Amino acid sequence: MLQVTNIEKYYSNGESVTKALNRVSFRVEDGEFIAIMGASGSGKTTLLNCISTIDTVSAGQICLDDIDISTLSSAKLARFRREKLGFVFQDFNLLDSLTIEENIGLALSLTHTDPGSVQKKVQDVAQKLGITDILPKFPYQVSGGQKQRAACARAMVAGQSLLLADEPTGALDSRASKNLLEIMTQMNQAMHATILMVTHDAYSASYASRILFLKDGRLFNELIRGDRDRSVFYHEILDVLALLGGDISDVI
Amino acid sequence: MTLSKLSLRNARRQTGDYLVYFVTVIITAALLYACNGLIFSSEVQKLSSMLRTLPLVIVLASIVVVCIIGWLVQYTTGFMFTKRSREFGTYILIGLENRQVARLFFLENLIVGTFAFALGILLGNLVFQTLRAILLALFGIPYTFAFSFSCKATALTLAYFVLIYLLAQLRSRRRIRSMKIYDLIYYDRLNENAVLTKSGRRKKIFSASLVFGAAGTLLLLKRSLPAGILGSACIIVFLYGFFLSFSSGVPAWFDRHTARKYQGQNPLLFRTLSAKLNTMGIVMATIALLFTAVLISQGTGLIFGAIFESRRSAEACYDIFISTNSPDQDFSDYIAYIESSIPVAAAHSYSIYQGPDAHITDYLDANTDYHPCYSYDTWMKFSDYAALRSMLGYPAVTMTSGEYLIHCVPYQKSVVAACAQPIAIDGAMLRPGSIHTENLNQKLWNTNGTDFILILPDEAVLSRPVSHNLYAAMTKEPVSAGQHDTLCRIRDNQNLRRAGYATLYTAPQVREEYASWTAMTILPLYYLALVLTMTAATILTIQQLSETDRYRRQFLLLKKLGMDQREMNRALRLQFTIYYAMPAIPPLFVSIPFLLNLCSATDPGVTEGFYRPLNIVCITLTLFCMIYAVYIVMAYRSLKRNVLP
Repeated sequence: MLQVTNIEKYYSNGESVTKALNRVSFRVEDGEFIAIMGASGSGKTTLLNCISTIDTVSAGQICLDDIDISTLSSAKLARFRREKLGFVFQDFNLLDSLTIEENIGLALSLTHTDPGSVQKKVQDVAQKLGITDILPKFPYQVSGGQKQRAACARAMVAGQSLLLADEPTGALDSRASKNLLEIMTQMNQAMHATILMVTHDAYSASYASRILFLKDGRLFNELIRGDRDRSVFYHEILDVLALLGGDISDVI
Repeated sequence: MTLSKLSLRNARRQTGDYLVYFVTVIITAALLYACNGLIFSSEVQKLSSMLRTLPLVIVLASIVVVCIIGWLVQYTTGFMFTKRSREFGTYILIGLENRQVARLFFLENLIVGTFAFALGILLGNLVFQTLRAILLALFGIPYTFAFSFSCKATALTLAYFVLIYLLAQLRSRRRIRSMKIYDLIYYDRLNENAVLTKSGRRKKIFSASLVFGAAGTLLLLKRSLPAGILGSACIIVFLYGFFLSFSSGVPAWFDRHTARKYQGQNPLLFRTLSAKLNTMGIVMATIALLFTAVLISQGTGLIFGAIFESRRSAEACYDIFISTNSPDQDFSDYIAYIESSIPVAAAHSYSIYQGPDAHITDYLDANTDYHPCYSYDTWMKFSDYAALRSMLGYPAVTMTSGEYLIHCVPYQKSVVAACAQPIAIDGAMLRPGSIHTENLNQKLWNTNGTDFILILPDEAVLSRPVSHNLYAAMTKEPVSAGQHDTLCRIRDNQNLRRAGYATLYTAPQVREEYASWTAMTILPLYYLALVLTMTAATILTIQQLSETDRYRRQFLLLKKLGMDQREMNRALRLQFTIYYAMPAIPPLFVSIPFLLNLCSATDPGVTEGFYRPLNIVCITLTLFCMIYAVYIVMAYRSLKRNVLP
């Protein structure tokens, strides 16, 4: 589904050049739940921004559903984003002036879905994510966990192929985090959603089926959960993080 | 850093952040100074004795302006206070006392006010020159630039400014001094609460407001003072009721029509609309009220202008025009004085005669907006008509045997042509001939007929009784004020000694009279309209620009969600259009019918018909839109530059 091949990203600031991503390659299969981990400044968010077409790569190629996104014009990129990608951000990014239902429905309005069918689709996805009762409320009237579930609903309501999550549990308490991660697992397993999650939290990453570790812009390691128990997988993640040199705050 | 230095720095920041407000205050200061300059200008006072009441009119208009600008300053100060309450809370948190923070805010506003006042006085001198040039042009006096600085005008403007700023500042000073740190830090979270939340109540108020709007507009069309006052009250109820109930009604409507809600950019647009109305309902209603006043003031100014111009051109047709309805009065005293003191190029004494019936008069009375002054159709000898035409420089006309001519005002031409019938004179029939419509002075009593006159062969008129006598003259030099006064004394003397009443016009006196009327009515109306438009547009713009951050976040998210640049541009334009159109649309439903009605309520034929009222309405809207557009374009450019990713 997603093929990242030898991508590089440089930022130049006057005379100095910073290499944020250095020859990163990996592949994400359909229906996979993959996490990208690394310390602050390792290039996680840059990688996510490049995949999400918000930023461009300096070299290399990113293909989603066999489409090379670097060849698309800005108008096609916008269409690509709204049809193929769903986003879940750390700070929820819901519009304050729209209700939860309208925030979810906005993704469908942007794809020019038949307006008459929007409400039904929103209710269907809300039911799956357990947020039907908060649909008429405004974001300021619901909890952080509910907002993040609403963001998940918006990310998948239009049938997007890939859900990109940037530190989705960053602004949540432990209970809400657990709840959200279980919802994301459910989306992955029951609804076959492909998820790419950037996180520096080992607990969150333990819900993924595969983890890519980034260090100084390069792929440092890869961990596959396989049939192991989640707690075992969690400890393996901590071991890799220790090798990476991340401090204790990074691993909770 | 001392408090005064901090105030100075904050004042500089304030002028940058609220540039639109600052510019509006400067322009208002300039307008106040320029109008005050007219009050104290000896040159203006000498223009006409009728301008004696101009200072009173200007002071009254300025009091309204002071109230409106006072509201703007108070609103903006309150707005800045809300936006900066967290900053003020922080000052107190780090050890400043409430009264010191209050002083800080007071000082920075004082600095901004002083700066605006100083710039306003400088700009005001230019505006004064413009007003002076307009006034001189109205009185037909050539304009020459003469720099003048009026200390009295500056002092009066300063007094207005002190009043405006002190009232606004005292309130925020009291507010800051009484608030706790917590209140200050979280004050920016407070909004104007939605006044009406219950759907049933909202619906009732919405329906009632529409009824009040329709009733108010109809009452304004009644052309009577009590109905006008009642109508104005209804319009106020309509606007406040409408904006307060409409804001709560928009989401309810879209909730019932979900297909519409999710069409294109509707979710964004309707929520922006309802959020704005929810938090700004009262302000929007007040702005709509101001816009209604602006449109009515501008349109009324235009209508008055057209009436004054029509009357001036009719009455100033001859350099000297005297008429009397009394057979006891004659023109010998006038002529004796004129021949001795006023060089005359051409003069003519003549009579208007009573026709045997009132066929055309009755027809006009029954079918048009006509005010009959005689119970008969008026007749004139062809030789007198030819002499008048020659005196006025109009092309000569001929009258063939067996016909009579008609001279009428242009707007009655088709009606007169339709009803004119052959006239029997001593057994012979005279059929209607050509109709002429040049200006001949045909207004009301004792002129060349009211709206029309029939021109017959001299011999046909001789047997008819005289209606009134007239004297018309064109002079080589304009009649001076002294000469006019002498002629008036002769008229008063005749009116006292003899029965009847004489009417006297001299062209310069007529011009002066209408120039004075224009100065005292139209200038204040435009002055008020300009200030009201600027105030309302400034408040809307300040509100809009204060939401730059929110818009930026919104469009950044929309970009991530896949909205392309073209759609984002369109969404911003639509949000902008709806926001600025909202308070401007209800006033159209009140002011346009009012102006159309006023067009037909004044002198017949001046602003009547289809195109002339339409013209008045179009010019009114164009003038309003031109000023409003300046603010909209400024805000749009700034917002587009800062919010679109």
